[in-house]
Amino acid sequence: MIEFILNGKVVQTDDEPDTPLLWVVRDTFKLTGSKFGCGIAKCGACTMHIDGSAQQTCVLPITAVAGKTVTTIEGLGTPDNLHPLQQAWVEQGVPQCGYCQSGQIMSAASLLTDNPNPNEAQLEAAMERNICRCGCYPRIKQAILSVAEQGQSGAVQLATPVAAKAPEGIQS
Amino acid sequence: MSAIKLSRRGFLKATGLIGGGLLIGYVATPDGNSPAVIPGDGAMAPNAFIQLTQDNQIIFYSPRDEMGQGISMGLATLVAEELDVPVDKIQVEFASVHDDYRHPEYWVQGTGGSSSMRVHYLPLRQVAADTRALLLTAAAMDLGVAAESLSTEDGYILSNGTGHRYSDFIATAQTLELPSETPLKAKADFKYIGKDMTRIDALAKSTGTAIFGMDIAVPDMYYAMVSRSPVAGGTVNNLDDSAARAMSGVTDIVRIDSGVAVVATSFWKAKKAVAALNIIWDQPDLANFSNGDIRADYQSALESDRGTTETEGSITEGLSKASMQVRRDYWTPYLAHTPMEPVNAVVKISDGKAELWAGTQSPGVARGLVARHSGLSVDNITVNSLFSGGGFGRRAQLSHIAEATQVAVATNKTIKLVWTRENDLQNGWFRQASIMQLHAGIDAEGKVTAWDATRVGGDLAPDTLAGVLPGELPRTPKLLNDLMLSATENLYDGWLIDSGGVEGLVSDYDFPNKQLRHISVNHGLPLAAWRSVGHSFTAFAKETLMDELAEMAGLNSFEFRRRNLQNNPRLLGVLEAVEQGLKQWDIPAGHHIGISTHGSFQSFVAQAAEVSIQGSKIRVHRVLCAIDCGAVINPDIVRAQIEGGIMYGLTAALYGDIEIENGAVKQSNFHDYKILRINEAPAVDVLIVETEQAPSGVGEPGLPPIAPAVANAVYQATGQRLYSMPLTLA
Repeated sequence: MIEFILNGKVVQTDDEPDTPLLWVVRDTFKLTGSKFGCGIAKCGACTMHIDGSAQQTCVLPITAVAGKTVTTIEGLGTPDNLHPLQQAWVEQGVPQCGYCQSGQIMSAASLLTDNPNPNEAQLEAAMERNICRCGCYPRIKQAILSVAEQGQSGAVQLATPVAAKAPEGIQS
Repeated sequence: MSAIKLSRRGFLKATGLIGGGLLIGYVATPDGNSPAVIPGDGAMAPNAFIQLTQDNQIIFYSPRDEMGQGISMGLATLVAEELDVPVDKIQVEFASVHDDYRHPEYWVQGTGGSSSMRVHYLPLRQVAADTRALLLTAAAMDLGVAAESLSTEDGYILSNGTGHRYSDFIATAQTLELPSETPLKAKADFKYIGKDMTRIDALAKSTGTAIFGMDIAVPDMYYAMVSRSPVAGGTVNNLDDSAARAMSGVTDIVRIDSGVAVVATSFWKAKKAVAALNIIWDQPDLANFSNGDIRADYQSALESDRGTTETEGSITEGLSKASMQVRRDYWTPYLAHTPMEPVNAVVKISDGKAELWAGTQSPGVARGLVARHSGLSVDNITVNSLFSGGGFGRRAQLSHIAEATQVAVATNKTIKLVWTRENDLQNGWFRQASIMQLHAGIDAEGKVTAWDATRVGGDLAPDTLAGVLPGELPRTPKLLNDLMLSATENLYDGWLIDSGGVEGLVSDYDFPNKQLRHISVNHGLPLAAWRSVGHSFTAFAKETLMDELAEMAGLNSFEFRRRNLQNNPRLLGVLEAVEQGLKQWDIPAGHHIGISTHGSFQSFVAQAAEVSIQGSKIRVHRVLCAIDCGAVINPDIVRAQIEGGIMYGLTAALYGDIEIENGAVKQSNFHDYKILRINEAPAVDVLIVETEQAPSGVGEPGLPPIAPAVANAVYQATGQRLYSMPLTLA
């Protein structure tokens, strides 16, 4: 039995210990916002936050998150209570097919928690782990920078159960 | 994407010659006589596309599939406009399978060929306008006023300053006949068409709540994965499944047409068990070929006198008028589609009925495949279409639905069958590889006098038909299907030219003397239309040669093209839009510009790419793109599709290469099949050159010009002409 915190709730699973976190979250806990894209941690569609930082979960055995805090796209914001990044994604018409976007947003949220005002190079370095086959990259960039410029990224801290660092200079 | 991979022209030719009467006769009544939409209590559905509920909710049934291209938003906008209801108040559902939803030009209920907005623009508006007129007539009767005194606004009928819900008049409307030919709104009165609006699916797709096929879970569902021959077409010689059977959670191991399926209680358990199968495969002919052999076969075909030729004017005469001429050979490789969501399907069979959940580009074919492999009639099969996590042509091939049905039948279980990324790259369908040869002459004025083109490679049309026939004709015996397919293959070998292999190669420019020769060489790797189909490689050859000819003529790239575009004003229009737009650009030192222009899917596109060379790496910084796609329904979606087409085309231009080794695909996942990432993505400026023409394609036309634009910029930067894709510096 492995126990961890999933979107603020303590959960337990008896899935086999080598089962990747992605499949436990999707199949056992029925949260399907995080996606399967490659299975080798090369596309980022499965990105979640583990203790506040973005990780690809399709190769992360469930044993690795025992006692840790896991946040998925469903825990970041909801249609009625959007995270600022999700708001920006909608306003700027980022998604096309949409399949990679949960992973993109989770990587972006982690970036802004660590660095509330990234420059373009820092943004690219943080986001290059996420593939988008529809080619939404220019809009992803624009959406992240718009949130950073608005100084809204403090909300990342609010929505994430365990915030590793308090963003500097941001009023929450 | 050519939804069914077949150009309209190619398809008509093919079916016309193999018995169109039979096919059309068969498909006319697959559904019996039931209407497409059965309205709920107190609701009305005056046609297959619109339901008005008693709560005044408009439901729009989208006949085309949503793969990210924004078509559900685009089509809903047409309905909103003529019904006079805000787009965001319309609930969009993916249509079931029904004759009323067949593509108006293609044969099947499918999506592709960048055609959806073009074919639905007027008919769907008409349906909505007629529905609004019906409601106005009913309101006039119920309110006892003249219909002319009524107006509509945002889903309400206004009478003497009072608003009434559309749904208040359903009862009376039900007694009336739906009018036809109601006048459509004038452009000046458009509220929604032509305006930037947020996509209706953006919220769900930004919150993880959009449901894809991969996300479907139904009660008592088991997971299936399949081990398939590494060489396409191979069959099982020997299977040792003892280790897999002993593994936790494994419930069944069954042989199906494509290989060996493992069924387990979870995806992860199925995946581990598939890896434990020990299979010896009988290899087909394809196993004798590697990339070098395939290319050598193409080369020797090129040098032979084989092929099918179409000529306009005379190449001999054209060359006699030329002051300079040049001949070049081009190589473009096989490519994979790699949509982010690997293909998958859920099939449930019980009590003589079957239900399918899947996102496809061809739900009609999908239904037929479930019928064929379950033995049930199509009337007993429900198709639930879902968001597709990318299509690009890949979701027009539906072998995974046949597989899921075969496993469900063999195990008597509800099955979710999932392809891994490795399956997608190694067991799927591929863009054709090609050798193209161009031989052109120009005169002293910089006019092309002769354009002689040859393309060597595999044919798309037979594989397209092979994908469609078993599902579209679910009761035709396999033997008959196979006969039709082999007849088709023979037709394309020496009789017909498969347009999906040559489209765009001799097009666009004035070319008074032109010739197209095609030589079919098929090795057996399964082929599928890949975003922009033939244009994805022909534009590369045509537009890099045009650049070379411009230099030979001593003219700049714009001026040379202009002189040869005198009969193509719309392509000239976008070319000049880019020429003007570039004047606003500051080009940093060390950065170079290349241009190209190409028409496809009835749209016209020109691009400029700003490139620098960093070591041996080609870096694309910015792209300027002008498109004339006729009337624009949602400019922001046009821009998004152009941006996406450019990124998809850049992946192919810089990295795309599927290599065959002893018949098997060498690449297996994103570590060795490289995809453009955000740190390599250029900024894109889109100029929409709006004309009064009917709307035409946007999903694909942005892609073809990017590879030649980049190659032409690389020449400016390095002096190297590149004749192969992916673009690689010497």
